Amino acid sequence: MARAPTRLAPTPSSPGRAAMLGLSVLIGIFLVVVTSPHAAAAGPSLSILAPANDQVIGNGTPLIVSFAVGNFVLVQPGRVGQVASAAEGHVDLYVDGLYSRLLTRVEPVLLPLDSGPHTIRLQLVQDNGTPLSPDVSASVRVVATHGPAVGTPTITIVSPKPGPTIAHDVYFAVEVTNFTLVDSYGQPNASNEGHVQLFLNGVFNQEPRAYDLGFIVDMPDGSNTVTARLVNNDNTPLNPDASASVTIRILGAPDPTGSEQVTGGLSLILALILVVLLLRRRKAARRVSLPNEDP
Amino acid sequence: MNARIFALIVAMIGMLVASGIPASNGRGAPVPTLSIVSPTPNAVMGNGTPVAVVFAVTNFNLTEPGNGTSSPNSGHVDVFVDGALTAKASVNTIVLALPSGPHTIRLRLVTDNGSALNPDITASVAVMATRGPAGGTPGLSIVFPREGALVGTDSTLSFRVTNFVLVAPGGPAGVPNEGHVQVRLDTARYAELTDDAPLHLNLKDGPHTVTLQLVDNEGGPLNPDVSVSLHLTVQALLGRVTPFDATPYLALANLLIGLGILAAIYRKLEAH
Repeated sequence: MARAPTRLAPTPSSPGRAAMLGLSVLIGIFLVVVTSPHAAAAGPSLSILAPANDQVIGNGTPLIVSFAVGNFVLVQPGRVGQVASAAEGHVDLYVDGLYSRLLTRVEPVLLPLDSGPHTIRLQLVQDNGTPLSPDVSASVRVVATHGPAVGTPTITIVSPKPGPTIAHDVYFAVEVTNFTLVDSYGQPNASNEGHVQLFLNGVFNQEPRAYDLGFIVDMPDGSNTVTARLVNNDNTPLNPDASASVTIRILGAPDPTGSEQVTGGLSLILALILVVLLLRRRKAARRVSLPNEDP
Repeated sequence: MNARIFALIVAMIGMLVASGIPASNGRGAPVPTLSIVSPTPNAVMGNGTPVAVVFAVTNFNLTEPGNGTSSPNSGHVDVFVDGALTAKASVNTIVLALPSGPHTIRLRLVTDNGSALNPDITASVAVMATRGPAGGTPGLSIVFPREGALVGTDSTLSFRVTNFVLVAPGGPAGVPNEGHVQVRLDTARYAELTDDAPLHLNLKDGPHTVTLQLVDNEGGPLNPDVSVSLHLTVQALLGRVTPFDATPYLALANLLIGLGILAAIYRKLEAH
């Protein structure tokens, strides 16, 4: 059986093929160099150095935003003879999506924030206000609060002390730690910030003003338990719950038992005296009447 | 001769025109412009937070006041609040703390020595500052006691306010989301509340109606009206326990027994 001859691949032997191979290698090297990240000119960069993401800004202090800009020159927009360039411009700052600042200097920015979560976004823009292409921006989320940034809230009732009292109108003083009391007007919740609710025998009674005394009036006689609870701005309890209770016994009208016993004892003595007198009188009367009967 | 003089004058005028001397300044250097980017006109600035005014200029170099370079195309911005010079700005953002009420912020480009440009270049914006929230509908509710409750002579009424900040009366008119609470007892004015501390009531026995109403700084009702009413019945000594006391009766008995003793002694003495 005859076998067909095997066709082998031709070998580059001609000068033209060698030139093509060399050209291909050169083009490959060129493409590798062009697409190399080290070879490309570094584009503008923007980063937020502080605060950290989800950082709690405590004690009602303004937020200080620090940022860094690279490969981009910050200049005042609208200068005389200014020509728009992708390598220079300024920084636009947005708070919760609202335009807030135009920054031309890399220096910390002071932002007073209301309590609650906020998003800060910085964006590089050209002198004419148009964003760069591709967009260069950075954002950070923070939570602002009037309370301390860390710590577990606690509450203690410092007055009155447990026990009896004769007053039906009682002031209540509380002491809180790691928590700032603020008057509620519907503002968003913020960590470690809120107000106090007072409950009388488990029933809501009042919300004292921030750092004011609670004043529960006309409490019923007997044992009364008052609970003070820390709540968020939207009146929801903290998690974990922070509350304290005190039981006071309101003494009603004075107990009459003592005076009744004294007066009753006196009555008994007087009654005995009267009985003795009556008996003696009857005996004397009998003695007087007997001699008259003898004759 | 006249023709030569005329030709000379025409030539001189032509040279002047060619040199640009009689041209306006606008042909030499563009006229600066000034505009306010933020806040927007009639914006409400809430929660008493300072107002950040962002402005834009063109053909004008902002420089620190007092640097000595006086030019019609460089200088700073004078900031006027309600007509009074409040600040000087050499950067595009300036933060202003404003009290509650309507305000007009006016910016003016000035040269380094503080003189206005010619022509004067200004921009202004009207804003409203409030200590209350910038948005939201005010709300008012009574949280204690409940409707129809039976209470003692002394009682407290707790209420909640939302999207509204309580301030002392007498502030500027027309400020949104700030004011105070007017209290009416049985349709008669009872109290004005400038904070959310519980209201202390001292009422006579019987049924009563307490009405709370949010009002603006001038005491006028909000639009739409925000008010809430509560019906109460007052009963004196509610919840007091008064135990039976037999002492007065025993004392009366003592008196009668004493009289009996006296009568017995008297009869005895009489018998003697």
